[in-house]
Amino acid sequence: MANVSLSGIRKSFGAVDVIQGVDIDIEDGQFVVLVGPSGCGKSTLLRMLAGLETITDGDIRIGERTVNELEPKDRDIAMVFQNYALYPHMTVAKNMGFSLEHRGGSKQEIATRVNDAAAILGLSGLLDRFPRQLSGGQRQRVAMGRAIVRNPQVFLFDEPLSNLDAKLRVVMRGEIKALHQRLRVTTVYVTHDQVEAMTMADKIVVMNGGKVAQMGSPLELYDRPENLFVAGFIGSPAMNLLEGTITAEGFTAGGSILPMGATSSDGRRAYYGIRPEHLDLVSDGGIAAEVLLIEPMGAETQLTFRCGDVQLVGIFRERFIGQVGDMVRIQPRLDLVHLFDAATEQRIA
Amino acid sequence: MNTKLSPRTQVALYGLLCLLLFPFIFPTWWMITSSIKPISQIFAFPPELFPSSVDFSSYTTAFEFQPFARQYFNSVYISVLVTVLTMLICSLAGYAFARIKFPGANIMFMVVLMGLLVPSEVTLIPLFQMFRAWGLSNTHWPLLLIQTIGASSVFATFIMRQFFITLPLELEEAARIDGLSRFKIFWTIALPLSRPALAAVAIFTFLHSWNSFLEPLVFISSRELFTLPVALVNFTDAYGGEMWNVQLAASTMSAIPVLIVFVIAQRHFIEGLAHTGLKG
Repeated sequence: MANVSLSGIRKSFGAVDVIQGVDIDIEDGQFVVLVGPSGCGKSTLLRMLAGLETITDGDIRIGERTVNELEPKDRDIAMVFQNYALYPHMTVAKNMGFSLEHRGGSKQEIATRVNDAAAILGLSGLLDRFPRQLSGGQRQRVAMGRAIVRNPQVFLFDEPLSNLDAKLRVVMRGEIKALHQRLRVTTVYVTHDQVEAMTMADKIVVMNGGKVAQMGSPLELYDRPENLFVAGFIGSPAMNLLEGTITAEGFTAGGSILPMGATSSDGRRAYYGIRPEHLDLVSDGGIAAEVLLIEPMGAETQLTFRCGDVQLVGIFRERFIGQVGDMVRIQPRLDLVHLFDAATEQRIA
Repeated sequence: MNTKLSPRTQVALYGLLCLLLFPFIFPTWWMITSSIKPISQIFAFPPELFPSSVDFSSYTTAFEFQPFARQYFNSVYISVLVTVLTMLICSLAGYAFARIKFPGANIMFMVVLMGLLVPSEVTLIPLFQMFRAWGLSNTHWPLLLIQTIGASSVFATFIMRQFFITLPLELEEAARIDGLSRFKIFWTIALPLSRPALAAVAIFTFLHSWNSFLEPLVFISSRELFTLPVALVNFTDAYGGEMWNVQLAASTMSAIPVLIVFVIAQRHFIEGLAHTGLKG
């Protein structure tokens, strides 16, 4: 186990700067998730950490060592790939022990470590099978087992659940999290799925366009996004974001005036952000809204409203007794309204 | 979608396939049956599909007439050696072209491929003069060298490169993290996974070497050093007439290794062609 430090990391492919100066500090034993849309540079960053890509500038430290020039094998890391990358011509046991075998481990030691890892992951009965004889979830476990057997300082996961169906993804998510809690190995996990990021991470690094948009604990990012991108990216369904003007009466957007807390930035162009679960249905006050869509999900109901020219999405624990086209009144919780400057897209309040 | 054919259609299809099979089967059948017929029956009219009398003496004559066993051995060892060397060299070259980034790789690959455009007849005389100058004419060296680094190996390199391109890059990256060197990755990961392509290369190369006629004819002058294709045309009587039954007995015997190689490797062979995007 070790701290990991990325400082001033840059990566260019020709004239294209895919990573534009990234600084991240990861504490020993921490589970860090790199999340962002496709092409934001998160996988490239992970591959640079693994040593599979060279870095154009900056320093990568694992523990006390700068590893910029080290080969992947010398970085003391283990990586789980999106498509598992199991050797098809080797059995599960051989796949898991291959690295140790290559490094000259004794047969006894390899067998012990493979059996231990297999027991942790519930693979003991599958050790003689070939990858083609396993299901997607089992292959994923073997890939994790291969990483565990090496007993590395850092685990790297590159979108490991992308190839699994939705149900299995949830199961494996829990297994990876439980495994981390058991082994407490520093882990860097790449995903484009913000639900995975929220549920698994000690610390989330949101990336956009080769830069870190924000990093912090899942709830920090959720409760207090520093910019418009993070506000829109974290949370499902996404935060309602309306462009308008801050006035003395409230926030004016698309012909509606939305209530907000006290602010002194009168006349400023801004984005108004409110999460769907922070809207309340009220009988008095609030703003008038027409119900456009009703999506009952069992535990909660998702409603889409039209207020003037703008649309808002709300999520409510109580069931909605009404129909599309009904007029209702909705009230944003004022202490949970987010404001972002329209020009810089940075948080105002 | 239901793709089951009606019994009538199936019968019609199998009938058609049997009909189409005839022109392919007949020459082989004629070769085998004629090799055990007395020479007088071979050209009998109407032709006999099934020999009325069986005579195996042509098989023993083949070995008495010229050093056929030695010639057979020559063909086997040259073809096996050429096949093994081609598989090794071309898989290395194919891997390098597919996976190692080096300046001019694509241009170099194009230059290699252009070797396929040069007819072997064009280079035969210069090669003959070169090998004679080296003192290697009437030896097996020209046959080994030309076939190992000639046109068939260019084709083999192409097949191997196309296969290696399709191997997931993550496998090699996982192997790099596991601590393997480039050569180890090739040897322990890429090569074992390329069995289908290797089988295709093995069959192509073995057949090409086994059937090679022009090079042995030009470079070899001693009967003991002949390979089978050249040996087969030497089954002639004192007047230059063909000894058909002996020649066909020798041909039957020379077809056996090809059949064995194909039967062993055909599953991989078809898979290999499918992987390389080539269709036979």
